[in-house]
Amino acid sequence: MTLTPTLLLAGIERTLNALLARDPAAPSRLARLSGSRLLLRLERPELSLAIHFHPAGLDLLCPETESEDTFDAIVALDAETLGKLLGGESIERLMFQGRLSVRGRVPLLEATRDLLLDLDLDWEGELARWLGDVPAHSLAEGLRRAARWSRRAHGEMRSDIAEYVFEEAKLLPGQHQLDNLRDHLTELEMTTDRLEARLARLRRQLEREAAL
Amino acid sequence: MSPLSSPGDKHTTHFGYQEVPVDEKASRVADVFHSVAARYDVMNDLMSFGIHRLWKRLTIERSGVRPGHSVLDIAGGTGDLTLKFSRMVGPRGHVVLADINESMLRVGRDKLLDNGVGGNVEYVQANAECLPFPDNTFDCITIAFGLRNVTDKASALRSMTRALKPGGRVLVLEFSKPVNPLLSKAYDEYSFRLLPRMGQMVAGDADSYRYLAESIRMHPDQETLQEMMEAAGLERVEYTNLTGGIVALHRGIKL
Repeated sequence: MTLTPTLLLAGIERTLNALLARDPAAPSRLARLSGSRLLLRLERPELSLAIHFHPAGLDLLCPETESEDTFDAIVALDAETLGKLLGGESIERLMFQGRLSVRGRVPLLEATRDLLLDLDLDWEGELARWLGDVPAHSLAEGLRRAARWSRRAHGEMRSDIAEYVFEEAKLLPGQHQLDNLRDHLTELEMTTDRLEARLARLRRQLEREAAL
Repeated sequence: MSPLSSPGDKHTTHFGYQEVPVDEKASRVADVFHSVAARYDVMNDLMSFGIHRLWKRLTIERSGVRPGHSVLDIAGGTGDLTLKFSRMVGPRGHVVLADINESMLRVGRDKLLDNGVGGNVEYVQANAECLPFPDNTFDCITIAFGLRNVTDKASALRSMTRALKPGGRVLVLEFSKPVNPLLSKAYDEYSFRLLPRMGQMVAGDADSYRYLAESIRMHPDQETLQEMMEAAGLERVEYTNLTGGIVALHRGIKL
């Protein structure tokens, strides 16, 4: 028997619990969910996943046999819908579209989704555990400054490149010039159409006169 | 395995590759575990490269334990299974962590308390051969890496069956016989050459880990254990080989 799915599940569980342990808001949320059991039934690929909440995090299990009466909520969905759900799409909308079926406590699904999506990691606090408060704060400040500089440099570089390409070297037309060109082309197209129509009318007139 | 009779009519059993008097085995096994208790978890992770966690995880998935259930974790050692079971049974259920060895029980209790487990777990120092519980008490009984250390395995299996409720499950997670000869060869090299050295380096005790390797070889293979469980009164006994049969998970139901 292969242990790969078990290994995968253990890895996901460990990662989620490690992330939850680093979120200062997680304990109060977990306390509200503690003792709840949610069964996720994926249709494609076919997989049942039981989520048990406890004060320190959650346990993920692939139950061999599922007795539905022991779960607070049973959710049936496919992998695509799971992606949308975790992407923040409204649960009600997915339910109305018939992509998601929930039996039992619907708020449990919402609370589970919020718990995972609203993770706010105190990474500076985690660094402080390893390095001490002052070095961790200095490092965090340094990283924040680097991130701000990188965002500003990115914005400035974009505007400098645009200025050079559109204004100085005139390698490409700007948006305004492009709109102007489109207007002129539209006008030219309409004039050509009118001229074509006049020529056609003239041809018909000449043919009629020749026939007389 | 039943005790063997020596020519001198003195009852003996195996302790690793040695033959020892039956009444000595328990104390010698106890010495091994007193010696390794403090570093048991570290050594388990090192020796199995962490895979023992996956084997135990699979045991939990196969246990079918639900909120409100009563679970007995025999030879529970440092409480890996009990920790998960205590969350699964919730406040209405209860878990008993039993071990014959006081040192292991103490390490397990401390670890569980450190993990915030308390209300629904009891700790009992008990011999698996004569479990101190009434008949039909538990919904699930597990014994992970403990049965091979028991002197009279048949008697332990009967005792577990007796304490199990009708419809309940017994799960035995134990080292077994690798199914692939190549794997078997590599496994022998690893367990007889490398394992005692690792034991010496990490736990300062090569002999205990030599005993571990020998006791695994003396343990009944998959089919024999299946027959023993059936003989103890369990039904629908089946087993799953894990990691090529290095470990097997046996499961039986009391009907």
